[in-house]
Amino acid sequence: MDKLYWQSLDHYKDLKEQSNPDKVKPEPEFSIEGLDESEIKGKSSRRDFLKMLGFSVSAVALVSSCQMPVRKAIPLLNQPSDLIPGVPNFYASTFYDGNDYCSILVKTRESRPIKIEGNDLSKITKGGTNARTQASVLNLYDDARLKNPRLGKVDSDWETIDRDVLNKLQDARESGKKVVLLTPTIISPSTRQLINEFISEYPNISWIQRDTINYSAMRKANELNFGQRIIPNYHFDKADTIVSFNADFLGNWLLPVAFTKQFSTKRKLTDQNKELNRLYQFESNLSLTGSNADYRFTIKPSEESAVLLNLYNEIARATGANTFLAPVTTIDVSKAANDLIASKGKSIVVSGTNNLNIQLIVNAINHLLGNYGKTIDTTKPIHLNQADEADMQQLVKDMNAGKISGLLVYNTNPAYDEADTESFVNGLGKVAFKVSFAETLDETAELCDFVCTTHNFLETWDDAQPIEGSFSFTQPTIRPIFNTRQFQDNLIKWMGLDMDYASYMEQHWKSMLSQHEEVMGNFTDNWNKLKHDGVFQHEEDDSAQATFTEQALKATEPLAEGIELALYEKISMGTGKYANNPWLLEMPDPITTATWDNYVCVPIDLAEEKSLKYEDVVLVNGAFELPVIVQPGQASGTVSIALGYGRISAGMAGNGVGKNAYPLLHTKNGFTNNTGTVVTIEKVAGKTYELAATQIHHNMEDRPIVRETTLEKFKENPISGNEQHIIDEKNNVTLYSKVDYDGIHWGMTIDLTSCTGCANCVIACQAENNVPVIGKDQVRKRRIMHWMRIDRYYSADPENPEVHHMPVMCQHCDNAPCENVCPVAATNHSDEGLNQMAYNRCIGTRYCINNCPYKVRRFNWYEFANNNKFDYNMNSELGKLVLNPDVIVRQRGVVEKCSLCVQRLQSKKLEAKRENRALVDGEVQTACSQSCPTNAIHFGNLKDENSVVVQDNKSDRMYHLLEQLHTLPSTSYLTKVRNKES
Amino acid sequence: MIFNVSVIKSLLRLKGLLLSGFFTLLLFINLSYGQTAEAEANFAVCKACHTIGGGKLVGPDLQGVTERRDEAWLIKFIQNSQELINAGDPEAVKIFEEYNKIPMPPNNLTDDQVRDILLYIENGGVVAGAEVGETEQEVAEEVAVEDADTELLVEMKREDARHLQATFIAMVVLILLALFDLLVTKIIKQKWIPIVILIIAVIISGEVIFIEATNLGRQQYYQPEQPVWFSHKVHAGQNQIDCKYCHFTADKSMHSGIPPVAVCMNCHNQVKKGKITGETEIAKVIDAYNNGEPIEWVKVHNLPDHVYFNHSQHVNVGKMDCTECHGDVEKMDEIIQVNDLSMGWCIDCHRTKEVNFANKFYDQYKQLHEEIANGEKSKVLVTDVGGEDCQRCHY
Repeated sequence: MDKLYWQSLDHYKDLKEQSNPDKVKPEPEFSIEGLDESEIKGKSSRRDFLKMLGFSVSAVALVSSCQMPVRKAIPLLNQPSDLIPGVPNFYASTFYDGNDYCSILVKTRESRPIKIEGNDLSKITKGGTNARTQASVLNLYDDARLKNPRLGKVDSDWETIDRDVLNKLQDARESGKKVVLLTPTIISPSTRQLINEFISEYPNISWIQRDTINYSAMRKANELNFGQRIIPNYHFDKADTIVSFNADFLGNWLLPVAFTKQFSTKRKLTDQNKELNRLYQFESNLSLTGSNADYRFTIKPSEESAVLLNLYNEIARATGANTFLAPVTTIDVSKAANDLIASKGKSIVVSGTNNLNIQLIVNAINHLLGNYGKTIDTTKPIHLNQADEADMQQLVKDMNAGKISGLLVYNTNPAYDEADTESFVNGLGKVAFKVSFAETLDETAELCDFVCTTHNFLETWDDAQPIEGSFSFTQPTIRPIFNTRQFQDNLIKWMGLDMDYASYMEQHWKSMLSQHEEVMGNFTDNWNKLKHDGVFQHEEDDSAQATFTEQALKATEPLAEGIELALYEKISMGTGKYANNPWLLEMPDPITTATWDNYVCVPIDLAEEKSLKYEDVVLVNGAFELPVIVQPGQASGTVSIALGYGRISAGMAGNGVGKNAYPLLHTKNGFTNNTGTVVTIEKVAGKTYELAATQIHHNMEDRPIVRETTLEKFKENPISGNEQHIIDEKNNVTLYSKVDYDGIHWGMTIDLTSCTGCANCVIACQAENNVPVIGKDQVRKRRIMHWMRIDRYYSADPENPEVHHMPVMCQHCDNAPCENVCPVAATNHSDEGLNQMAYNRCIGTRYCINNCPYKVRRFNWYEFANNNKFDYNMNSELGKLVLNPDVIVRQRGVVEKCSLCVQRLQSKKLEAKRENRALVDGEVQTACSQSCPTNAIHFGNLKDENSVVVQDNKSDRMYHLLEQLHTLPSTSYLTKVRNKES
Repeated sequence: MIFNVSVIKSLLRLKGLLLSGFFTLLLFINLSYGQTAEAEANFAVCKACHTIGGGKLVGPDLQGVTERRDEAWLIKFIQNSQELINAGDPEAVKIFEEYNKIPMPPNNLTDDQVRDILLYIENGGVVAGAEVGETEQEVAEEVAVEDADTELLVEMKREDARHLQATFIAMVVLILLALFDLLVTKIIKQKWIPIVILIIAVIISGEVIFIEATNLGRQQYYQPEQPVWFSHKVHAGQNQIDCKYCHFTADKSMHSGIPPVAVCMNCHNQVKKGKITGETEIAKVIDAYNNGEPIEWVKVHNLPDHVYFNHSQHVNVGKMDCTECHGDVEKMDEIIQVNDLSMGWCIDCHRTKEVNFANKFYDQYKQLHEEIANGEKSKVLVTDVGGEDCQRCHY
């Protein structure tokens, strides 16, 4: 039987009903839902016409009598040799915000950062990025950033701040009162040393690290098993079988960019390689990782330990190890167990739950499978997320007990994202002096006496050691825009040293590298090279893996009866630190495709039981109201809410968006957890809340869009799943002569087996091509401007569906339907196979949009720049600095769409011509292909026989989207192969 | 014996003389062959600071420099003087200090190119084999005549514009008169006469409107007043400074680059008085540099909105001469926009201009190469490689 593909539950029901022909309802030809009153009625009168006539005549008269504006050309006084106007410079740097890590290249034009790329030299992230890293450049130009240091509620200057804070610090030191420095996990070796020196200068200060998302149980378990409080490094590229419990390692868990890179290396099918890794995911909410799993099981958070223990017992029985008493569960783990046993030493089991019992079982399983030393490395641990929430809990107690006289808070926001914000805020009131080191006036900074406004990360010097032995550097790419100061420089100043952090860091490295002088050579050369490369790998002989000490395993005691809550980080919003970033706010979630809000994901059975449907409002725990999304794949008996929303002091775009779910974190035995809280859900009768999801307006009906097969079938017959391609090729007869290109025919291929749908490309494209943010109302009106979208389709069982992610952008058809209908030839075809869009020729008939079968063309319904109604980055003098000067900002009334980053193609061609050489395959990359963490998107010249895209096109898996229409796209897709038994 | 000896001695002496003469001749032949017109072009940059027999400028007079110094040293010094100075070479340091510590900018000339320039200097600043050029007097006169031509041209164009206005007004008057007569006064009995006049006048005024409308937003013959009276005629014309000495990013970037004041100061550190404006204008430049305030030039060549233009594509890859778009800059005092920079003007060139198809980038255009081999095509135009595509310039 054919699989049913569907996009939403309503769609699923429609499909089911379609078998009964009487019930098929005709869709309205033109939906007016969401239009304004005036737009529906069309109320222009004769007088309006005359007004317009008069206006246009006088406007023309005015224009023709006007002088051209005088434009100035102001050169630099003294132009540095490496700064050429019009030529971008790239600086290697590091994105680390206390949670996410990525090694990056920053593209600057005329000394302002405009785009982030991945750093190919990094052994960790290997040139990949994620959506949040891509969007981070916009945070630099955020109007919510503080412009000056603040004293109380008013702007101040650094002399005053230095004098006052120093007085307080010295007073506290003399009287021996306790002061606490609160930071997120610091992975910078130089900063760690600086903080330690600062503390030896002020012995009354103690340093506490605090993470928003906690991994302390993992560290504790490793302490018990290995004697070291570490998080080992994982090598997903060496694992054939991966079993993950609630760990969204492709989206948020630990080092998602690095893990996605590693994971995708085993998701490449070529003529030589016909093997894939296999991913089992056990989880409550449908995460990005879960949507990419070959086998996915829905479990309640309370079942996790039992399922894990059963898995352990199965493996232990097969390997002859001790078994432990495990509660019976309904989940059959035998298949996962068999696969794990079959790939001993080539498997990984992980859990994202911050629970000691669970982490101990995970470690025991990995030990049984002999994964330590092979896929899991304890010698080079991950240094992220070092905090122990017990420290923070103690601090809050001490604060409330009046034991703390001073608090220095750097880059962390406990007044927003602590489970118990209330007692933190109460305690803060009892602290005599509070200093915040923050970029914006966040919830915590608002409560502090002093705000030592810090630089954005693009303005700072720093280093980082995310993994033992792997270093990377942060360097300023722009001079500080505001009167701000880097956190470290404050400490140096208050220690009374006469230097800045850049030279402090250099000294630190000088002493570090001097130990290896005979190998490394001259320091100055080295130092320049390190800053140039942005990364440094310290190769040392592998010390022995830590020895494993067994611990008794037991399942966690069951929770109270009720609906269990699984909180999660959204791919876009993360922990909520960048809640004021309009790019991220408007990014459709890869699973729900919703923008701008958070909501309660409700499983289908619960929705039926409480008669909830999409956009109904529920009262969560009696505390706050949130809209509902009935989410396929949500575990029965659970609901999910995204963290990171409900900020009250984020900035104009982010304030009051969604609800804050951090108070629902579950704390037990000293571990704070995303899962485990039992909540009540009550329907608020008669109330609905409008959500702006993009899933409805990109429906591709029931055409063979997603083509998939299983690995087993694929090995038998590589064409499996793609049989339609042969039929379509045969049927495609045309009267038009085939277009033949000479020299260059740009083409793209997208491997659906590799693509995880992480939406990095969506934001990369937005940043590169000046795509505007249009706000929730316009998104609801189906006008989202993204040139690139990721379609998400569900198939099979709604309770636990299979998910497909499919990036879609302009397909650049050789036989483009849009070109034929444009009355003014504003869209036409180039000699290099590009479907071009000449904005200044477009008169906005939108015929092309209607005739495009892929629905990738976007119409500028409004002037989105310099318009107070769209008060996002394009309406701010500061925000506009992020715009790419090589790409125009489109005006109202024109159609736009993916140009295959023509500005990049042109500049690389020019570079080759200037150097009198042929283009090299792979040197020309579009924004989406360049930083793809899975290398799923390939770009190149289809006329170059040796190019990757040509090889891809020869694959049996290759097909075009809607190829039965004979549009002859230059973009092709490779079928999705799941590693499943059919 | 004595005679014999002396004969032999004199013979030997003669031989030496002959030999040395022979070598001198060889050298001379070498000289004539080694020196190319390229040397003259390369020397254009040097001319900003040096003369050959014209006395000290910013740097020393180069006449006889090859006799004063060792060739190897000269090559090193010319390629990168600062390197030599920093290395503490006594000669180099001495010159550097003598000439007020103004560094000579380093360059990418090869050893052979430098030797070529040295020969050019030895030859007194003339390309060997070339006819002796016109005297300076003659050059000046010629320049003056051509200047007059340019100014006349500009004036004529302005005159044209005035004529257009006059024509338009005349036509409107004619239309009104014709209409008035036709409808009110009815003096002319033959009705076809005012009707014909009306039609002709409408057509002509329509034509004027069309011409004026297409010129909206264009700035042909735009010559704004600049904050500093800077003469391209003096710099590029009389002093023969290469365009790319000041506009040095033209072959690297989309922008040709307005020179930073520091570049002006390379020469104006020394040259503080001009022939035409005396000290006033140069003082503005020096003040700007000393006060750290950049000069706010008025941009002359403004492209229409939504056009991407890249200088390096045209100057570096297309090997176009600056004057092809900017006109005879070396004859202009204040710069004037000669071409209208309209799309039609761009496209005309793209349709007729030949591409440097030998560039290895074009190797991939197999079909075109085949057509050339077959003799179907004799040259490849810009339009043949997509020069008329919208998204070459609009994105």
